[in-house]
Amino acid sequence: MLEVAGLEVRYGAVRAVRGASLAVGDGELVALLGANGAGKSSTLRAIAGALRPAAGSIRLDGQEVLGTSPERMVRLGAAMVPETRDVFPDLTVGENLRLGAFTRRGDAQGVAADRERMLAMFPVLRERQDQPAGTLSGGEQQMLVIARAMMSRPRLLLLDEPSLGLAPTIVQRIFAMIVELRRAGLTILLVEQNAAQALAIADRAYVMRQGEIAASGPAAEIAAATDLQQLYLGG
Amino acid sequence: MPWRRLALSFLLLALPVLALAGAVQFAQSLLLERIAITLCINLVLVVGLQVFMGNAGILSFAHIGFMGVGAYAAAVLSIPAQMKGMALPDLYPLLEGVAVAPMVAILAGVAVAALVAALVSYPLMRLSDAAAVITSFALLVVLHTLMLHWSAVTNGPRTLFGLPKATTLGLAAGAALAVIAVALLFKESRTGLLLRASRDDEIAAGAIGVRIPALRWRAFVLSAAIAALGGGLWGHFITSFSPKAFYLKETFVVLGMLVIGGASTVSGAVLGTFLVTLAFEGLRAVEGALNRAQLFAGQVVGLTEVALACAMILFLILRPGGLLPTAEIGALRRTRPESDR
Amino acid sequence: MTAFLQFVVDVLALGGAYALMALGLVIVYGILRLVNFAYGELIMVTGYTLFLLGGSPLPWILMAAVAVLMAVLTGIVTDHVAFRPVRTKSVTAVLITSFAFSTLLQNAALLLISPRPRSVPLPDIFSETVRLGGVVTPVRNLITIATAVVLLALFALLMKRSVLGLAMRAAAANFTMARMLGVPANLVITSAFAISGLLAGIVALLWLGRSASVAPGIGLEPLLVAFIATVIGGMRSLEGAVIGGFLLAFIDTSLNHLLPQDLLKFRDAFTFTAVILILLWRPEGLIRGPAAGRRT
Repeated sequence: MLEVAGLEVRYGAVRAVRGASLAVGDGELVALLGANGAGKSSTLRAIAGALRPAAGSIRLDGQEVLGTSPERMVRLGAAMVPETRDVFPDLTVGENLRLGAFTRRGDAQGVAADRERMLAMFPVLRERQDQPAGTLSGGEQQMLVIARAMMSRPRLLLLDEPSLGLAPTIVQRIFAMIVELRRAGLTILLVEQNAAQALAIADRAYVMRQGEIAASGPAAEIAAATDLQQLYLGG
Repeated sequence: MPWRRLALSFLLLALPVLALAGAVQFAQSLLLERIAITLCINLVLVVGLQVFMGNAGILSFAHIGFMGVGAYAAAVLSIPAQMKGMALPDLYPLLEGVAVAPMVAILAGVAVAALVAALVSYPLMRLSDAAAVITSFALLVVLHTLMLHWSAVTNGPRTLFGLPKATTLGLAAGAALAVIAVALLFKESRTGLLLRASRDDEIAAGAIGVRIPALRWRAFVLSAAIAALGGGLWGHFITSFSPKAFYLKETFVVLGMLVIGGASTVSGAVLGTFLVTLAFEGLRAVEGALNRAQLFAGQVVGLTEVALACAMILFLILRPGGLLPTAEIGALRRTRPESDR
Repeated sequence: MTAFLQFVVDVLALGGAYALMALGLVIVYGILRLVNFAYGELIMVTGYTLFLLGGSPLPWILMAAVAVLMAVLTGIVTDHVAFRPVRTKSVTAVLITSFAFSTLLQNAALLLISPRPRSVPLPDIFSETVRLGGVVTPVRNLITIATAVVLLALFALLMKRSVLGLAMRAAAANFTMARMLGVPANLVITSAFAISGLLAGIVALLWLGRSASVAPGIGLEPLLVAFIATVIGGMRSLEGAVIGGFLLAFIDTSLNHLLPQDLLKFRDAFTFTAVILILLWRPEGLIRGPAAGRRT
């Protein structure tokens, strides 16, 4: 579904991503691991169209999408959940979800059905539908941004650090949701620092170090590899 | 510090000013002399604005307000005592008898403006983005309102006249050269270097303990003082003016010169002033010719401003740094790599 | 009592106009972080369109509609000329282009029409007065109040209920995130400028009613008013802009009654000093807008 080749992202003189290549197949859950600053988020943001890469190729269903605007990427079926958990704080939970379905005008029935599905999956959001999203707890906000992204009915979900700053029990629930979404047929690219937990649910994984892909393979193999620590620490 | 390049830059920037002054002396043309003096005063104003905008990276609308402060302060001091009754009927008795040499008055105007800027601006320097722009705009409106209504020292919205015509080409050119030198030196001074570093990365500069507001304040006060110098010179060149000379129209023209030349460099400011002043004079001549020929029913006005506005927008789109965006002219010539550092 | 009622009507009429002016400026600033210096010229354009249509046999309401449409179009042109090409560059660049565009429009009016004021056609009702509970007031004031109420209600409805309104509020809070949900940047930007033009155009009709004429510099006062109201109300808050507009009208009207003539002429100096002080105290304005905020 997604093929990235030779991706380069620069911030001024800093090369955050240096020729990274990766692929995600239909229905796969792929984890992208690495230490802070390894270039994972930049890679994900580049795929989502939120920043413009300096070079490389990004193909979605075989079609070149490098440099495509973020709004167009959503229409092509790739939805992004950024690590900053950007709920719109002054909009209610319901309004946030409604915006998630922005691209699906004319499909009121489908939107209503998906909304129902998301509220069933995250019951706490139903309770808080009319509250401003800014009043939600961190975990609830994380659920909201995932549910909101799902409202565009994406085929590929780009998840950036969903565990960041959350209590372990909440993280477990969120990861359970991710597994459930994947079981329903969604393709997921998951960026995580929390390697153990990500590897537990992923099919395959890539490890990034200093902007490059340092290792890749089935999740079990990566988890078993003894040099994982080393890869992380950049040794 | 690149002293040699700095000196070279100064020489290369001084050359056209001196050449122009020399040519005018030689040609003995009043029209040319008027254009040359206007150009030198524009240089003072534009380079003065560059001192703040180029180093701090913040747009200031208040600049021309300080030009007005300089012009009015100098005028109050230099208008001959026997003229004062007519020119400034409401003047405070204390100032009625005062009449100093124009040079002294101009310098006093500079001091007044610098003092006002120093007192008013310090807290403003904390602000950035829209708040900084709106406050500087608000400052311009406040200064303008004062000029418009403080009749005792400005004669109100009416024209103030009676200033001695003291600004010669030599004086204007000398001032322009001095201001160019000051701007170049300020840019390379510790304050200038730190300011420019902070403009590029405010957080990093803050992290190494740079107090940005204090740096900006120095640049702002210097910039206001130079604007006042321009105002004093202009006042003693034109000899009569009203508050509307120091408002948005003049702000626009000076800003246009700076943007087209390149706000980050003194060389850009100089180049922009030359180009726009000469283009303006050309367009004014066209306007005049059109009006004399009476091709159109009404007066042709605004053509120059329309042209300048279009040029500014095009420049900001196509060449946002202006003609000389990064390097001073003295550093441009040397394309040889690093050998002489 | 009568004096009080007179005061209330004056404040509401002036405040209604100010609130609409401020709202038109904030809708662009809140979403795009652009202080649109060419905002006042939208009012000028409306005036000149009315002037040019003045001799035509069209009914006034149609002329007014065309004039407002021209303001909307000019708003959209502002986006394409002064904002879109430089939006990814520096904040300063965007400010300067909008300032240059403002000067461009003003001088185009000077060049193509005239430096002197031109009279605009207005319906007779604008110059009539009515007696209301002992208060004599121009009908224009009542029209202004009614227009402001209707427009503000419609605007609130649009922002709260429509998907476009939601998208614009979302974009104001976090432009990139809104785009990552599929909200097209260009749609939001164009809508903001169009709404800004619509508000300016309608308020222009009411504003022109005071002098019944238009001159190239007519936009400056509304621009300054919008600045102050915006700063009072919070630069990013739409509700704040409206409150700021009414508050400014209250302050202005009070000062007109209270200040002696000598000081009254310095009113602008006072209000703008207040603007500076408010911004020093709260750089985002008195009333806080949405929490996060990022440029595109």
